[in-house]
Amino acid sequence: MSILANALMALRGINSNKLRSLLTMLGVLIGVAAVIVLLAVGTGSSQAVANSINRLGTNTLTVFSGGGFGGGTSQAGTQTRNAVLTQTDVTLISDPNSAPDVQSVSPVVTTSETATHQGASATTSVIGSTPSYLPASNYTVQSGRSISSADVKAHALVVDLGSSTASSLFATGSNPLGKQVQLGSSEFTVIGLLASKGSSGLSNGDAVAIAPYTAVQDQLTGESQSFSQLLVQGKSSATLSLAQSEVESILAAQNDTTVTNLPFSVLNQASLLSTATSSSKTFTALLGWVAAVSLLVGAIGVMNIMLVTVTERTREIGIRKAIGAPKSVVLGQFLIEAVVISLLGGVLGVLAGLFVVRFRIDGVQPVLATYSIPLAFGVALLVGVFAGLYPAFRAASLRPIDALRHE
Amino acid sequence: MGPDRSPNRWPVIALSNIVKRYVMGGNDVYATRGVSLSVSSGEFVAIMGASGSGKSTLMNIIGCLDVPTSGHYRLDGVNIRDLDDRELSRIRNRKIGFVFQGFNLLPTMSAIANVELPMAYAGVPSKERRHRAEGALESVGLADRMGHFPNEMSGGQQQRVAVARAIVTDPSLILADEPTGNLDSKSSVDVMSAFASLHAQGRTVVMITHEEDIAAYATRVVRLRDGIITQDHHQTPSHPHESHLAHARQAEGSSALAGRP
Ligand SMILES: Nc1ncnc2c1ncn2[C@@H]1O[C@H](COP(=O)(O)OP(=O)(O)OP(=O)(O)O)[C@@H](O)[C@H]1O
Ligand SMILES: [Mg+2]
Repeated sequence: MSILANALMALRGINSNKLRSLLTMLGVLIGVAAVIVLLAVGTGSSQAVANSINRLGTNTLTVFSGGGFGGGTSQAGTQTRNAVLTQTDVTLISDPNSAPDVQSVSPVVTTSETATHQGASATTSVIGSTPSYLPASNYTVQSGRSISSADVKAHALVVDLGSSTASSLFATGSNPLGKQVQLGSSEFTVIGLLASKGSSGLSNGDAVAIAPYTAVQDQLTGESQSFSQLLVQGKSSATLSLAQSEVESILAAQNDTTVTNLPFSVLNQASLLSTATSSSKTFTALLGWVAAVSLLVGAIGVMNIMLVTVTERTREIGIRKAIGAPKSVVLGQFLIEAVVISLLGGVLGVLAGLFVVRFRIDGVQPVLATYSIPLAFGVALLVGVFAGLYPAFRAASLRPIDALRHE
Repeated sequence: MGPDRSPNRWPVIALSNIVKRYVMGGNDVYATRGVSLSVSSGEFVAIMGASGSGKSTLMNIIGCLDVPTSGHYRLDGVNIRDLDDRELSRIRNRKIGFVFQGFNLLPTMSAIANVELPMAYAGVPSKERRHRAEGALESVGLADRMGHFPNEMSGGQQQRVAVARAIVTDPSLILADEPTGNLDSKSSVDVMSAFASLHAQGRTVVMITHEEDIAAYATRVVRLRDGIITQDHHQTPSHPHESHLAHARQAEGSSALAGRP
């Protein structure tokens, strides 16, 4: 008897009990779809976390003054002084001999000001820094130009506006370049507009105005000796921790203290990212387990139905054997039935999963994990074969008369 | 002339000391207690006996559906204990046509599909299958019931479908467990004519019956009591048209014909 004839016989078997076959299929369908959807939600949310961290700037260290466990002071002998980030620190860190893994260091002074232009106003965070600040924190200039070293040297009153600050101050269609914007009591000339970065959860990265730190110190903070932050860009994310220890030892030496007692806090973006990534990986794995459990439940459903089917049809098996069906054919028929049911359930489950993944779920845009399709599908098929194999084998091994006597 | 005296006859069925024991709640129940029987090719054997005397048990063993607790069974000279599942199913499919006491039709299949099934296992192409199944159903008087499902048919009609399924593969050995048990005289004559013509073509027929008129078709009658053969004699089969079944058929003829479109 050919495989084809056997498959036809199996299809007839499925067809003769539509409801039961449908329910079994539904079990597989839900399991497969759950695996695909939950893994996509996990992948989607971990990508969202990674994206928002990446927006802060990649390969960067941020040194905060006044932070850290030292409480902003350092003890050196009997002397106590306030620890500040100075131009000397910047010069030392940017020296490739003392910090070979540092790409650039940007001193940062920040203040929050109300920016106004012809009656329009917007609260904006003013960042005073050097040109290297923009690439290090992932800002790109959309039009105009970035602040330059010459601007820094000249204490020029020029500013690059973030996209939301610009749109709050200027009417759409008008060209802000070359216009004057008042920050605090000083007029700054707009020289560039920054591309939107999106908000990174904590702060809106687009409500900014970036100016030379010299100008910000002159006009707004009044401070001229220290910086609130240093933004250090490493040569690569792989060597960022090396860069971090170089920066830390320079700062420790400058403040006559040890690295462990450093009066600054150093935020490593890469380690933040890897912490976040590993926690979202855990989250994805957890979702994966939930999905696996639901697939397992589906599998037990298929197994159960196959057992019931075979028990219910023991007489049928007896009749088939009595009129000459060999064991292999009976086995094949039930196996094909199980495989067809789980295959159909698997295909429909993949389709359902692909459909659901297109929608936002709980604020997360799921991202299809390609591996989840063959995974879910393969497991469904495997389950079908195993679920079908045991009961079919049991039935096919019966002596015809025992199967026939079965009630 | 007795079949075993003819030189071109050989034993198809050779049972020696067949015992079938069932264990029921600690008690041993013997369905057969040592049956030895040899049936030669071309014989038409009727097995008779009271209910519970072990007739079906014996038939199931002969049909390779069951195995004896002890004793030997040779079918066409082959000890069936030496055969594996594939060989046994081949024998059940090609060599034996079995009519069950309880019909054993597949409820999810139409009459014609039931009759086609053994040919499907034999690998007969579907066109030929259909053609032969139609012929077999016609020969048992069911030309008008081919598409009906078992639950849409009377007991007698189901029994005739079972007979059609048993003879459709043209087996050399036909085993029938009370094939006319549920039939009226007219249908009994149809079924017995089918068996008689197979017998006339040289097939071996073993049939269980309670009715002396049906046993009259046979060339040999074996009687069982409590799992032991008590009588075994050869006879000249009475021609169907000479028996009183034929008269009964004439008497019922008008109504039976009226019942068929
Ligand atoms: N599966 C079984 N388990 C236990 N006892 C059985 C089983 N099958 C048959 N028997 C016993 O074996 C004996 C013979 O049964 P069998 O079916 O062969 O009788 P029979 O001659 O065919 O009767 P009938 O004419 O009523 O069909 C009976 O006493 C029956 O109770
Ligand atoms: Mg019986």
